[in-house]
Amino acid sequence: MKKKLIIVTIILLGAVLLSACAGGAVRGMSWPGLATDGALVYLADGPFVYAVSLGDGREIWRYPGARDNKLVFYSPPTVTPDGLIIVGSAGTDHSLVALSPNDINPDTNAPFEEWKFTGAEDHWVAAPLVVGDKLFAVNSDGNLYILDLQDGRSSKEATVVELGGRLWSQPTTDGERVYVTSLDHSVIAVDVNTYKVVWNEDIGGAVPGSAVPTEDGSLYVGSLASQLEKFDPATGEHQPVVDAANWVWSTPSLDGDTLYFGDVDGNLYSFNTSTGNQNWKAIKPDNSETASITASPLVQDQHILVATESGSVFAVDHDGKVVWNETIGGKIYTSPIAAGELTIVAPLETEFYLAALDSNGRQVWTFTPEN
Amino acid sequence: MWDFFISIFVNVLIWIYDVVGHNFGLAIILFTILIRIVTWPLNAQQMKGAAAMQSLQSDKDWQAIQKKYAKDKEKLAQEQMRIYREKGINPFSSCLPTLIQFPIIIALYQSIIRALASTPLDLLKLSRSISLPNVSDLIPLHSKFLWMDLGRPEGIPLPFDISFLPYGFPILAIIVAITTYIQAKLTMPTSATPGDQSAAMSGMMSIYMPLLLGYFAITFASGLSVYFITSNVLGIVQYAMQGKANWHNLIPKFLQRQ
Repeated sequence: MKKKLIIVTIILLGAVLLSACAGGAVRGMSWPGLATDGALVYLADGPFVYAVSLGDGREIWRYPGARDNKLVFYSPPTVTPDGLIIVGSAGTDHSLVALSPNDINPDTNAPFEEWKFTGAEDHWVAAPLVVGDKLFAVNSDGNLYILDLQDGRSSKEATVVELGGRLWSQPTTDGERVYVTSLDHSVIAVDVNTYKVVWNEDIGGAVPGSAVPTEDGSLYVGSLASQLEKFDPATGEHQPVVDAANWVWSTPSLDGDTLYFGDVDGNLYSFNTSTGNQNWKAIKPDNSETASITASPLVQDQHILVATESGSVFAVDHDGKVVWNETIGGKIYTSPIAAGELTIVAPLETEFYLAALDSNGRQVWTFTPEN
Repeated sequence: MWDFFISIFVNVLIWIYDVVGHNFGLAIILFTILIRIVTWPLNAQQMKGAAAMQSLQSDKDWQAIQKKYAKDKEKLAQEQMRIYREKGINPFSSCLPTLIQFPIIIALYQSIIRALASTPLDLLKLSRSISLPNVSDLIPLHSKFLWMDLGRPEGIPLPFDISFLPYGFPILAIIVAITTYIQAKLTMPTSATPGDQSAAMSGMMSIYMPLLLGYFAITFASGLSVYFITSNVLGIVQYAMQGKANWHNLIPKFLQRQ
């Protein structure tokens, strides 16, 4: 009898442990997505997308109104010029939804869905890109979906461009082409009008960040091959211009003719696109063991703000010197965003979901959902 | 400690993946064979222990103490332990492989999820788990194997509505349940005495285990199902090679009587 009990207990324990592994619509499956329209901050974090007041960090609404196990959010929302909030789910339904933040359901305190697209086959990680009246959205299924924002449909259909690999970063554009990066090591240019693939280049490592077009007509991409590559946007010809110490995860941030980017060892690089040289030798603002930089640096007037995995934010001047640093707590992987006078940070593994910092790094408010 | 254990699994899986030409399904199959080889002595011990426990049921001393101390459970337990010691039998030896199996299943599941890295956080964690050189060439791993995406539950679409099955018709789960049932039946001892508790328990396990593993196969990443099927098939082969497979048990009882 004892033996029987032991075996049944083991089986039940195994089932519970495995079930725990599978997870559901829970926070912490990946790092949250963040966006702002200047009045509200939109946080995609686990089962909900939260709209939070910039003034005092108060929750204004959340979507969906009640938890739905099919919905998981961590892709950064996109705010369209006409004020819609577009966000994709990494849950099992693979939906991309446009929310109307000014049209709130009084029963649920959630915004109404303006439209929905359910044609993708995998989860959404990247924020979509608005180009005119078109939406360019990439999915983990390897497809680029192009939606018409003005067709008035509540259930959207899309033009599908098969690109391959897992597409995790927001497409970018220089007006002529849309640039898509893939985890299958490729960088792809798609004609913005005809949707034809112009070129498709392998750079030897997965690309989890976006391509950055610069004003001098070049294109820069960081990759897990630990390099920053420079592309000719017209032809796709490319060459490495910086050898990083480790994986370059984040999308480089452009400030005039300077690109700032980090690597997962915690090094911060400053690359001059005009001279083709680094402005200074890479610095490591965070000396802790968990100093990885996966977030894009945030360029401000006086500083470049760098968030690291150790849960700290560092203000670095244009000469590569740390001016101040602030410990937020938890782990920071999400790129901080600027919203008015504030910088918004979304840490993981903390009680609060958002922290707003002033220009000196002092916390102005934090946001913790009530339930 | 547990994370270190997962890291070992991940590195071995990725190393095999690289060697076999970037096929993660094949890597899981070969990894399962490796685990089977490593745990072979334990499985052999289980079979030996089960056979010893089975032979004990017809032992005269054993039957005598069952009758003599039927109403004194404490004394019965003491006497049973004495007989175990005298005959050199470890009553828990047949449980050991089951105990070993569950941490392996959980570790393998977590390793598959980590290796296939379906979220940015998973991919970052993967980078910390890998000790192999030039791994950025391999990442991300190709998760497709036959018709399956090994990082997701398996199922094939059917021409009619099966919306209650979110991933489609679960062929792999059915194969998992069938192979688990066959393995359990082949290793089930034939009961010599009526009311034999050991045989009753084996009979119960041959029903519950296929259902449980079938449920896991429907719910979890299909890479785990590949592990279950490979492990079951290897188990059946192992029993057959050692001449322990009880093929008679596969025949339904009503046919056995005829």
